[in-house]
Amino acid sequence: MSMGYVVLIPLLPALAFALLAPLSRRARTRAVPLAVGAVLGSLALSIAAFLAVWPGGHAGEPVWQGVVTIAHIGDRALSLGLQLEPVSAVMLLVVSLVGAAVQVYSLGYMHREERIGWYYAALSLFTAAMLALVLSNNFLGLFMAWEIMGLCSYLLIGFWHEQEPPRLASIKAFLTTKVGDLGFMVALAVIYAEVGAFDFHTVLDHAWTAASATPVALLLLFGAMGKSAQFPLHVWLPDAMAGPTPASALIHAATMVAAGVFLVVRAFPIFEASGVALTVTLWVGLVTALLAGLLAMVQHDIKKVLAYSTISQLGFMFIALGAGGSTAALYHLVTHAYFKSLLFLGAGVIIHAAHTQDMREMGGLAGKLPVTSLAFASGSLALAGIVPFSGFWSKDEILTVLLHEHQYVAFGIALLAALVTAFYVSRLWFRVFTAPPQQAELHEGHRSMLAPMVVLASVTAVLGFFGPTLGGFLGHEIPWPQLATAAISTAAAAAGVALGWWVYGRRTSVVNTQAIKQRFPHAYGVLANKYYFDLTYGYFVVGGYDALTRVLAVFDQRVVDGAVNGTAAAWRRLAGGGWTFDQRVVDGAVNGTAAAWRRLAGGGWTFDQRVVDGAVNGTAAVVKAAGVRVRTLQTGSVRGYQTLVAGAVVLLVIWIFVKGV
Amino acid sequence: MDFPLLTLIVFLPLLGAAAVALLGNARASAGRAVAAFVAVVDLGLVAWLAARFDVAGGMQFAEIAEWVPQAGITYYLAIDGMSLAMVALSALLTLLAIVASWKTDRNPALWFSMLLLLEVGMNGVFVAMDFVLFYVFWELVLVPMYFLIATWGGPRRQYAAVKFFLYTLFGSVFMLVGIIALYLQTGTFGILEMAGAGLDPSFQWWVFAAFFLGFAVKVPVFPLHTWLPDAHVEAPTAASVLLAGVLLKMGSYGFLRISLPILPDAAAEWSTFIAALAAVSIVYGAAVAFAQTDMKKLVAYSSISHMGFVMLGIASMTPEGLNGAVAVMFSHGVVTGMLFFLVGMVYDRTHTRMIAEVSGLSSKVPVAAGLMAFASFASLGLPGLSGFVGEFLSLVGAWGSDIPAGWVIVSVVGVLLAAAYMLWLVQRVVLGTPSDAVARIDDLGAREIAVLVPLVALTLIVGVYWDSLLRFTDPAVRAILVTMGGA
Repeated sequence: MSMGYVVLIPLLPALAFALLAPLSRRARTRAVPLAVGAVLGSLALSIAAFLAVWPGGHAGEPVWQGVVTIAHIGDRALSLGLQLEPVSAVMLLVVSLVGAAVQVYSLGYMHREERIGWYYAALSLFTAAMLALVLSNNFLGLFMAWEIMGLCSYLLIGFWHEQEPPRLASIKAFLTTKVGDLGFMVALAVIYAEVGAFDFHTVLDHAWTAASATPVALLLLFGAMGKSAQFPLHVWLPDAMAGPTPASALIHAATMVAAGVFLVVRAFPIFEASGVALTVTLWVGLVTALLAGLLAMVQHDIKKVLAYSTISQLGFMFIALGAGGSTAALYHLVTHAYFKSLLFLGAGVIIHAAHTQDMREMGGLAGKLPVTSLAFASGSLALAGIVPFSGFWSKDEILTVLLHEHQYVAFGIALLAALVTAFYVSRLWFRVFTAPPQQAELHEGHRSMLAPMVVLASVTAVLGFFGPTLGGFLGHEIPWPQLATAAISTAAAAAGVALGWWVYGRRTSVVNTQAIKQRFPHAYGVLANKYYFDLTYGYFVVGGYDALTRVLAVFDQRVVDGAVNGTAAAWRRLAGGGWTFDQRVVDGAVNGTAAAWRRLAGGGWTFDQRVVDGAVNGTAAVVKAAGVRVRTLQTGSVRGYQTLVAGAVVLLVIWIFVKGV
Repeated sequence: MDFPLLTLIVFLPLLGAAAVALLGNARASAGRAVAAFVAVVDLGLVAWLAARFDVAGGMQFAEIAEWVPQAGITYYLAIDGMSLAMVALSALLTLLAIVASWKTDRNPALWFSMLLLLEVGMNGVFVAMDFVLFYVFWELVLVPMYFLIATWGGPRRQYAAVKFFLYTLFGSVFMLVGIIALYLQTGTFGILEMAGAGLDPSFQWWVFAAFFLGFAVKVPVFPLHTWLPDAHVEAPTAASVLLAGVLLKMGSYGFLRISLPILPDAAAEWSTFIAALAAVSIVYGAAVAFAQTDMKKLVAYSSISHMGFVMLGIASMTPEGLNGAVAVMFSHGVVTGMLFFLVGMVYDRTHTRMIAEVSGLSSKVPVAAGLMAFASFASLGLPGLSGFVGEFLSLVGAWGSDIPAGWVIVSVVGVLLAAAYMLWLVQRVVLGTPSDAVARIDDLGAREIAVLVPLVALTLIVGVYWDSLLRFTDPAVRAILVTMGGA
């Protein structure tokens, strides 16, 4: 049987996007059914693909592969490819089912929106990218799909961009996840330098040593932490709740945020080769699961509770990965995708009905929204980890792995996080559904919204019974829970629920939470300020960068360009000086010479007149005068001659002495 | 001799320029029609050449004629895949610039003839294989660009035009010294003849330094970049597009065509220094771009950042890095061309480029806004669009080379910073509620959309199917590496 249709699974929603995106707003609105049709088509084909792998599926050779070479560099070729094997088959069902549920639900939820066509276009592109990601047979293709999902996340968070908070939330989400993506990108470079290829088969078969694997694994982990909102890169996810709720259900609960976990699952042999990276993964997960869970306890916005819950649950998946249980992580990813998207869709109905996201303004919804309440109950019980709902089984599997690996500290922390989870779930439940009603008019959601919820709720209720089957399909054993761990985890969950009921659920004597806050002001302050992560990032990272760029801009203008302009000015001054030099010195020398010559020549004339000619004339005059004087000598007077001879003798004697003769 | 296709591609625009000038301002509409016709024919010739181009054939379509035989100067044109990518970019962007500036009414005859004259120089630089010819084309480019900026530019056009001219001239004087030094050493002006000539390494070092100054100013590499923002801010839209789209690539092309093959030992010695400057250019350009309040200046600084990736790829001297460098050159021409066109189109309507005065485009002019967002995402390197291809390959190449890992990591941070300034621009200009300047403007017309559609298409095609570009560039860069004695 030809399996080429697998290509259509991501291609159908991609085509829907390509078709909708260039249309005008009005035409796009009319084309919305096309998008829904495309994702339903993907769902049908995903089921077919799953059945093609079932039941012989085991983690061996892919059932089907399709590869396109997109680049030739030297003697190497870069390819994008899809592969169908058990993991991608399971993920296909998750993504296409939740994707289809969300798109159908959105028909009702978003029908008043003017730009519903654009919403569906972005949702379609996202679905296509996510389906391509889970099918990808190499790290490069996975990264490309990963980034495109980031774009869609950005577009959908900022869907209501006329308002400030969605606008800021969208850029925050993109940039925070991009921080992680840098790690992924460098990991790709390292992999290429080490292996010379990106396809899973070649990369994972490479002889990784601890030394070569650790940097790659840690870089990949960093990328996963951004996408899956792990501490300390988690800050974007709660803000991302500014987007439309169904988009949150798909992207920020079920699928995209789980892509980080999926990446680690795909690269798991590298993590195992490293060892160190597994330990880091474990602790990232533990910290995240507990700290995010604690934050969920103090949120009043129903979507924020769910957002922190998502971060915390993703933390559980990282715990599983870190403990070496990639199948347990994948299992929890699957159950979480269904029950958390269900909770978000339920929250959407609640928000529509109550016209608020603040749980303090809700209450008594149980009677007014019967279908939603039931569906929401299924999701809540799964999240709290109550048997037999799906979350119980997968969380139990994670705890089992921890015990099996003798990670007792980690087990304790995870158990505590599970208790916290049960507490905030019951807090949410009792506040929203059983607290005294705050509003009279409350309307149940439209059928198009309820139907997808019912489907997801049913899956959530029964999925756990297929755990071992799923494990067999994936090639790793998922045993039935052992009584001991099941009892411990159920006790923790029950304690959390009971505590929630005791604080928020009792009609008679509601606990004064205000008093608790006042009694532990520091602890509450830390939680209310979300451990100061946002403040720190906002002040130091964003503010610091902003200030730095301003300084650099001035530096560029004053110093770097200043040097250029300074050189030019100096040159001009020099040239100006040169002109003066030229005029004064060079030309001056010429003129000076000329002047000197003239002066000389003038002097020469005088010289000529006075000296040369004077000499001539002087000689004549001297001769004449001498003649007169000499004439007087010849007077014939003896006294005169005596004087002359005496004088001559004196002169002669002096001359003799002087010469020393 | 075969049909002189390259001569025709290079000099047809010269005929066009003369014709447009002769038609004069009195018959300007005929003049611009001639200009557009010539640009279309020229692009058609390039396409025809590309269709007949043998990707495995190395240098081809060669035309060699004696020019000044006494001095060993020849008229030597030839083209390989790398040159072809650049000539295609030049011919396409010239045509689009002509169409985009269709409504120029101040001295249109001079305007269109200068655009065509510019094309002569740009095409010529990329196919001239004789140093003297290369130098002539290199300097020829300055003249029309000087007039385009100085005549049709903004308020500080004189300053910017002179700065552009002198700064580049300053660099090319050193280049000339390098050329003469090579000539005296080898007795030829043949660029290809000198490749792999095995010159004395210490001689290479000095010649490399001379060429470095010439090329680095053009690229531009930090800290020789400050002519660029001024030139871009003052230049009219079409000139900005060609300046960023093609002229900057002349510098990096010089490194690839001349410095690496002729001076391989010096190149190896200089590579860490160039990589460091590249990394600084990437991060510095991105950071300064973030602080800009003028859209055009932001795009100008982003160019410095992107050209840093070109230099990083070149410094790596690996097949991945060099392919990445050429891919960034091509993609930057397409994407930044798109951004400058869009900024110009917004400016035509709002009469401002100040980011603070333009907001909420998406609700008033969805087509312009959508295309601007598209170009922004292409610019920040979204996979699936052309910007990613070169950036990624440059990084991969650099990592696999002798470049210290620290500089590669610094460069990677540039990817994040690019997302920051680009999205921050989108945030303020495209999204939000319309500002006063935007309140009563019309969306793009058919002519403007026609200018942008080819660029959008190229961005997508190259981004999805990398080989559409790399099949031309890969054999060319491999030939360069072979002459270098490496890979």
